[in-house]
Amino acid sequence: MATSSAPGTDLSTEISDALLGEAVELPPGLGPWRLAWRRLRRNRVALFFGGVFLLILVLCLLAPVYAKHIAHQGPAAENITGTVKVGGKAKDVVSTTGIPVGPTWHSRYFLGADENGRDVAVRLLYGGRNSLEIGFVATAITIFFGLLVGVLAGYFRGITDGIITRVLDVIWAFPAVLLGVTLGVSLALGGIGPLHGNTLMVPAVVVGVVYIPYVGKPVRGQVLGLREREFIDAARQQGLSHARIMFSEILPNLGSTIVVFVPLILANAILLEAGLSYLGAGVQPPNPSWGTMIADGIRTIPAAFHNVLVPGIMLVLAVMSINVFGDGLRDALDPRSKVRIAR
Amino acid sequence: MTRLARRALPVVVTVLAVVSATVLAACGGGGGSNTSGGSTSASTSQAKNGGTITLIGGVAPDSLDPGFGYTTQAAEPDWLSYTGLVTYAHKSGTAGSELIPGLATALPQASADGKTYTATMRKGLKFSNGTPVKASDFAYTVERALKIPWGGSGQFIAGNIVGAKAYAAKKASSISGIQTDDATGKITIHLTAPYGAFLNVLAFPSLGIVPSGTPMKNLPNNPPPGVGPYEIKNIVPNQSYKLVRNPNWGQGALNIPGIPAGHVDVNVKISSNVDANALSVVNNTNDVYDWADTIPGSLLPQINSQAKGRYQKKVMNSTYYVFMNTQEKPFNNQLARQAVVTGLNQNAMSRLSSGSLIPGCYFLPPGMVGHPTAPCPYGDPAKGGDIAKAKQLVQQSGMKGQPVTVWSQQRAPRQQWMTYYTSFLNQIGFKAKQKLIADASYFPTIGNLKGHPQTGFADWNQDFPNPIDFYLLVQSSSILPTNNENFGEVRDPQIDSQSKKLGEVPTNKLNTIASQWQSLDEYLAKKAYIGVFGYQTFPALISNRMSPNYVFHPLYGWDWSSFSLK
Repeated sequence: MATSSAPGTDLSTEISDALLGEAVELPPGLGPWRLAWRRLRRNRVALFFGGVFLLILVLCLLAPVYAKHIAHQGPAAENITGTVKVGGKAKDVVSTTGIPVGPTWHSRYFLGADENGRDVAVRLLYGGRNSLEIGFVATAITIFFGLLVGVLAGYFRGITDGIITRVLDVIWAFPAVLLGVTLGVSLALGGIGPLHGNTLMVPAVVVGVVYIPYVGKPVRGQVLGLREREFIDAARQQGLSHARIMFSEILPNLGSTIVVFVPLILANAILLEAGLSYLGAGVQPPNPSWGTMIADGIRTIPAAFHNVLVPGIMLVLAVMSINVFGDGLRDALDPRSKVRIAR
Repeated sequence: MTRLARRALPVVVTVLAVVSATVLAACGGGGGSNTSGGSTSASTSQAKNGGTITLIGGVAPDSLDPGFGYTTQAAEPDWLSYTGLVTYAHKSGTAGSELIPGLATALPQASADGKTYTATMRKGLKFSNGTPVKASDFAYTVERALKIPWGGSGQFIAGNIVGAKAYAAKKASSISGIQTDDATGKITIHLTAPYGAFLNVLAFPSLGIVPSGTPMKNLPNNPPPGVGPYEIKNIVPNQSYKLVRNPNWGQGALNIPGIPAGHVDVNVKISSNVDANALSVVNNTNDVYDWADTIPGSLLPQINSQAKGRYQKKVMNSTYYVFMNTQEKPFNNQLARQAVVTGLNQNAMSRLSSGSLIPGCYFLPPGMVGHPTAPCPYGDPAKGGDIAKAKQLVQQSGMKGQPVTVWSQQRAPRQQWMTYYTSFLNQIGFKAKQKLIADASYFPTIGNLKGHPQTGFADWNQDFPNPIDFYLLVQSSSILPTNNENFGEVRDPQIDSQSKKLGEVPTNKLNTIASQWQSLDEYLAKKAYIGVFGYQTFPALISNRMSPNYVFHPLYGWDWSSFSLK
């Protein structure tokens, strides 16, 4: 089946073929979701990394507990002129020349301090919460609007398709980071509508909007194929409205595609958020995120490498675990497709 | 004028610089120079001539056209390429603040009422393109600075010279207060009121003479010809340019006492990675580090071990402070402002800038005439802030829980300072949040009255060694709808009247009114109109190839004409 593919996308139209064709190959008595679950269970690597991501998620959710009962310091609490015991000796949290203390491996400053005397471990967990929160919200925005515009464009075709596709092309034409920086910087100052400039929702909206074409275009391609299928013709013959056909006939058939997209978009959203925050266009201080922590730590690399290393490792771990798990999920749902979000 | 990397000609090297320069001289065995005072004295004619050195800086000049350039990065090369009627001695320390005749035969003479200045242009001068210099070129230069306009033109030219305002407003075809005679070289300048620092105004590089007929627009990539020991060439915007020695300087009419010829040509490279820049000088890949950039503390151990004797901290006349909007809640309440001044931990802020801040509480920096000697009114800043007392003051003020937006630049350590300040405000009872603005648009943003900025970062580096240069920032007449510099909107009749009166005293007679400036500065500190958090020190770092007998000027930092190779 031929579907139109947007220039620049690597998201293969094979996905629709595969998903549609899979139903034919299913053993009797096994639905596609159960079959996918069987396949996923056999992929130990994917399950392991899924577990890693779950662990990161739980740790980040427990950040307030860690801050209150273990580190005894909040994520924004500064202690520049304070001291901390290291090896039985009191040591400046930040030296007189501005060099922060390294990991103490004790409850306070377990992973060291940043140059404002804040506990890196606490900020790491809170930063993870923020990064993941932005990632999830951005993914929800991307998926929702990507689905909406993709289904509308693919189903109605014609002028609706033309307008939507051109708008998506315009967004697509900008490199994601460049567009993110532009939106992030301009919105960080005054916010947008009810969103104030320094809330986490601003980078979430920015990241979410940037990735809409990455979902919208492949969905449109798939809907273009679906709308020609016999069951859609049957629905039309029954006199179902357009909205009903889209909602009850087409949307369910996009389910596995969306499930595959979620981890891919989530991983990319977290990466883009980190990039934007690193460039000052994402999370605004004093809120931590892994990106802002790396940016803050750059100045202290020669003497306090941990300030960059620690959030960097967490970022790599989180993104890699989501990606590997996402790959496993994709293989389970659609072993023949090669879905990639990269450009 | 001056704000580092925005507009700025910092400086006045104080006692510390003198001491450090002496140390430099003691350990600097650079061949070829017999400069006894090391970096405290002018470069000598016996320094080795020839060669090219490379200066690397993190920020490009705003423009190399003197009619527009207003940052320290612009002032350094423009000072050497565009001499005005008056200029500064090429010396380190306070000696460098001395005004000397530039293209004028002598320092302009003021009339008894201080409202008229007369000068005579030297004869036989030629611009770098060979065009003879005329007295009328001075009038044209001033008009051009108003027309472009140069950032300080409103304050220093339009605000002082008769007819300059009308010219700027296009209500006149020339400035009526400037008369010139090309035949005799005589120049007469009429002021609207006595202004004690007017000779310093004439010494601004932006009033360095350019030929009549030069386009009345900013020429950043092809700056006009000038008169000076150097000429600016090969400009690649935001990347590089070159200062080439004027081969005729020091000969005939171009032999101007006190303005030496350079020893080396200077290549200037711009790279925003200041850490890498510092390392490149430490490793001798480049020769001079821009003193206006900050060296991160994490590099200091390496610099101290690898570049011992090549790195010094220089103290200049600069004040770093937080402004507090006296017309907006909560800082329209004096107790709330006192809480800030009382609790701010300057030691913490110094650590955020690699220990580069000297604690203090007065607006006028220690090297400036009029800096008070009395103890700080709200506790010794060197001991760190009194948080408990600050909390109590916030409680008393009735402003507890008031929302506060802290405005901040993005570059380090300014962002880190304001992050600390935000945390501190929250600690003492306000509800503060930080607002980051891109560096280039920060001051225009907080200088827009419509934005009602509550509090945030501000700094001032002297344009000239006169307290009035600082007090322009707290006079009510400086409050403007846009490009406002009185960020705290301080409106205090005592400050207005007293500073205006003291501002009429010429710079060379400042010592006679030092105690009055001290009293005024103590009054400002007691009212807690601004929250001073220290006086900045600046890094002077050179490569192994360089002779350590350089001049570190109190206004312009590096004096490139003093650079020489070993």
